[in-house]
Amino acid sequence: MAGRVITVTSGKGGVGKTTFSANVSAALAGLGKKAVAVDTDVGLRNLDIVMGLENRIVYDLVDVVEGRCRLQKAIIRDKRVATLHMLPAAQTRDKSAVSPDAMEKICAELRSQFDFTIIDSPAGIEGGFHNAIAGADEVVIVTTPHVSAIRDADRVIGLLEAAEKQQIFLVINRLQAEMVRRGDMLDIPDILDILAIELLGIIPEDESIVVSSNRGELAALHAASPAGRAYKNIARRLLGEDAPLMPMDEDKSFLKWLASLFKGRAL
Amino acid sequence: MGFLDKLIKHLSPVDYAQPSKQAAKERLKLALTYDRGGLAQGTIEQLRDGIIQVIAKHLTINEDEIDINFDRTSEQDKLIATIPLRMAPRPRMRGGQATSTAEKAPPQSSKT
Repeated sequence: MAGRVITVTSGKGGVGKTTFSANVSAALAGLGKKAVAVDTDVGLRNLDIVMGLENRIVYDLVDVVEGRCRLQKAIIRDKRVATLHMLPAAQTRDKSAVSPDAMEKICAELRSQFDFTIIDSPAGIEGGFHNAIAGADEVVIVTTPHVSAIRDADRVIGLLEAAEKQQIFLVINRLQAEMVRRGDMLDIPDILDILAIELLGIIPEDESIVVSSNRGELAALHAASPAGRAYKNIARRLLGEDAPLMPMDEDKSFLKWLASLFKGRAL
Repeated sequence: MGFLDKLIKHLSPVDYAQPSKQAAKERLKLALTYDRGGLAQGTIEQLRDGIIQVIAKHLTINEDEIDINFDRTSEQDKLIATIPLRMAPRPRMRGGQATSTAEKAPPQSSKT
């Protein structure tokens, strides 16, 4: 099997990388793909708690890197979706415990076993970032419509181009339709104009994401959440399907507005 | 918009009259031009002083109204200078203020 290794990064912290990694992995697994979410934020691990798997960790990424256990043993199998897996980061070590070379080896092994390896990267552009992108075939940049996140995303795009990553996609998280409508939030064409990379998806602001992560549940596995539907659409777009950029039953006026924006744009 | 929204806006110290999106876009474009080009802070001010010196040798310009900015699109980064002229001391011209902008006059615009 030759699976795809996709790194999720952003530069800025708090834009939703971990939530994205957890939910897109779950959505891909829900579509029948064998998926593993990998936490590379050594020292500040969080993917486990967002996915509700924090009580099942025995071994972690650093144990694998340092040869204390085989990769297979550190991977946790999710009980909700049969094809969903997670490889946790170590919590008591720091980023220097992993190297880009070690990550490349681990990614090669995961690529042979999983359809999708989703790598959640730490915030920042230091060592942890370089570990996270080392084995990536594709990179997803998560940003929000805020000037700080977009500026950091631009910096990361520059670093990815320097690292010769060819496949770079953008996800715009936490979009507030009402704020965009009244001109108080950067809208999608503005952001695409500035960052000039291909758009993979748009996730609306959604309170239910806080509720899901409070409970260790995955929004992408529940039909009721608009953000959850957006994650599912992104998973389908990754599979090459023609899924909509936004959930279908969003506010109608917003959809109309969105349609007017994309009229004549090749997307 | 509901009554409550109107009330909140009325009482809020934030200026809701001007949508803030344009400000965000312009500020971002300028910041990213600095970031990408690795330009030192104050580059625009230095350019401004330099341009004034050069232009002032040949033309009478309105220094206070000079506007120098970077514009960033997916195709290219541009430096756009708008330099209003005071009435040129030529006999042919009859009053009024002549304005020349960099977009119309290529020699005053240069790419970064």
